Amino acid sequence: MDLAWYALLGLFFAGYLVLAGYDYGVGLLLARGGGPALRREALTALGPFFLGNEVWLVAAVGILFGAFPVLEGELLAGCYPAVAGALVGVILVTVGVQLRSRPTDERVRARWDRVVMIGSALAAVGWGVVLAALLQGVPRQADGHVAGVSHLATPFAAAVGLAMVALVAVHGATFLALRLSTDAAAVVGRTARRLVPVALTAVALATVVGLLSARVRDAVQRPAVAVLLPVLLAAALLAARAALARRRPGWALAATGAALALPVVLVGAALWPYVLVSTTDPGASLTVTDAAASAPTLRLLGWVALPLLPALLGFQAMCWWVFRGRTDGRAPVYW
Amino acid sequence: MDTLLLARLQFATTTSIHFLFVVVTLGLVTLLVGMQTAWVLTGNPKWERLTRYWGQLYVINYVLGIATGIVMEFQFGLNWSGLSRYVGNVFGAPLAIETLVAFFLESTFLGMWIFGWHRLGKGVHLALLWGVAITAYASAFWIMVANSWLQHPVGYEVRDGIAHLTDFGALLTNPSLGMAFGHVVSAAMLVGGMLMAAVSAWHLIRRTPDFVLFRTSLRIGLVTSALAITMVQGFGFAQFGPVGAVQPTKFGQGPEGQALIAEWTTRFGPGDYTPPVLASVGLGFMILIGFTLGCVWLLLPLLFRDWIIRLRFPLWLVLLALPLPFVAVILGWIAREVGRQPWVAYGLLPTDQAVSPVGAPVMLASLIGFSLLLGTLAVTNWVLLARHAARGAADPALGRPPAPPNESTHPEPALI
Repeated sequence: MDLAWYALLGLFFAGYLVLAGYDYGVGLLLARGGGPALRREALTALGPFFLGNEVWLVAAVGILFGAFPVLEGELLAGCYPAVAGALVGVILVTVGVQLRSRPTDERVRARWDRVVMIGSALAAVGWGVVLAALLQGVPRQADGHVAGVSHLATPFAAAVGLAMVALVAVHGATFLALRLSTDAAAVVGRTARRLVPVALTAVALATVVGLLSARVRDAVQRPAVAVLLPVLLAAALLAARAALARRRPGWALAATGAALALPVVLVGAALWPYVLVSTTDPGASLTVTDAAASAPTLRLLGWVALPLLPALLGFQAMCWWVFRGRTDGRAPVYW
Repeated sequence: MDTLLLARLQFATTTSIHFLFVVVTLGLVTLLVGMQTAWVLTGNPKWERLTRYWGQLYVINYVLGIATGIVMEFQFGLNWSGLSRYVGNVFGAPLAIETLVAFFLESTFLGMWIFGWHRLGKGVHLALLWGVAITAYASAFWIMVANSWLQHPVGYEVRDGIAHLTDFGALLTNPSLGMAFGHVVSAAMLVGGMLMAAVSAWHLIRRTPDFVLFRTSLRIGLVTSALAITMVQGFGFAQFGPVGAVQPTKFGQGPEGQALIAEWTTRFGPGDYTPPVLASVGLGFMILIGFTLGCVWLLLPLLFRDWIIRLRFPLWLVLLALPLPFVAVILGWIAREVGRQPWVAYGLLPTDQAVSPVGAPVMLASLIGFSLLLGTLAVTNWVLLARHAARGAADPALGRPPAPPNESTHPEPALI
């Protein structure tokens, strides 16, 4: 039961990173210039999916609270600055994207677009640092609380935050290559291919820093799985590049999506059976079973989630199906 | 300043801003469902134009509801980790159900509704709005289940110092839930109705075009407000019985309250177990506003032969009364939440044991950061709402028909 809920938590958080990842990627790409028309096109491509993407985060935190209350308190409070930073980013993107087209002045819109850009970068860095904090362990004391927030300030956390920014940028560009009209897609496809080496470098840097960090080496329970992570990430990025070169943006998006889902899955697997490894007191490490809610709560939530999950995924799939295909001048436009 | 006070201030700020937007969301979506259903049933284009105009205001308002809602959800873990640690097994369940049953679907449906005009069939498009409304009510229900549990913890037992769920049904039949849910939902209808009536009144005062349109929404808004205020009063007064029974310290000191405080003093040690006076002041002013707004019934006879529009001064009254329901919902929330202090879960978990053990500087930075951010965004959002409300129903961006296929350039959206 614990494992099933842990997997569901992973599914929703990975789903969030994959789906909102291209929102943030598109947000970052608003910086590449090209004027209002290009930014308009990018936001139109994103439009129908935007609201449905952000809610995966809300669902993930709901599951975290309901099924892993102890983890929720310790993880969020223990990584306060990273979570708060990511949260500010999520809010800026959510509000910026939805409001940017309401003013008519093009300069005001450009200012909102900068808000979206900054928010996208913050969100990517913030979640990257949270994943890094899991991998490098937290100073959880015997009383069950994580002491202070200075444990976040490590080169590894910074490197993972940057790698996350590079990954969402590639992902966003690939999404636009799939959605934009054919001409615009070719241009952004080239951008995506150029971004792949950048992402590879960032992932390599994070790997090296991680291997050099004693905290990461101590916290990881299954080194083989942890080493597999950068290897698979590199493979996914190269596959995306190859698919983009062959004008197969659908496959490319699947590959970059995998690159964003993989960290969640492999961080979870590399730490198993723990979820929070303590750097100060081995006895204070938190296992998945310790972190889970008690059996009656999980049973109740199970009865709710079981019939609901197909509906949740089904309506999301309906959204993707209804708005599939490339955008053109006649696509419904709102933000 | 200590961490506890900073955390409480942050929760109060975020929740107040959140509440101002969600009551509008809940009220407007109900009226929108009525208008779009009327359009699909009658085919009268007036209803389509009403749906697009009010739908656009609804969608702009929704943005801040969602943003503040996300902050609220994270705040439990960030600032109140003691809450998840001691009562997370019980309190977390309704919150988790809310995100999955309600919020996740609500946003998914809304995204499809916004972009589905002229792309989906009329029936499917209408069904999506019904989905948005039903999930919005489900959301309000589960949040109230969670909140009612904090007001009056039921269906649990404490083992090893941690609450465990024993009877989920008790959470749904919580005496502090039923009337409060009715009260909140009718307050949302009141806010939605008053907003619609006030914006329409403004257009009718200014004699903007679209007389027929705003005459219709004025009537809808006023009738909704009148019915809603009566329900607000009914559910409000009906709460005194059950809430007073389960929270004897909430409405001042009776003998039961004294006995409870004596019991707490022996169990938890000496302390101040009476809620701050702010709670009862809020309650008093809210009741005053509630009676004042009851006067909306007096305006209804003036709907006959449009006397309300011809006389004009009643329109000014409607416009000037718009802030009142917003003030009242904040006061009502203060009465309910501050009235349970010093407990986060009444009689079970003191507020000072629920706060996260983070340093005061971090908490202060977070308070200032989020208050400034959400405050700025809220004001920006209201300015945009006011501008779009004033712009009139000529051509809202929401539901604008696509350009004809032979037109080479597609127009910029959201212009004028």
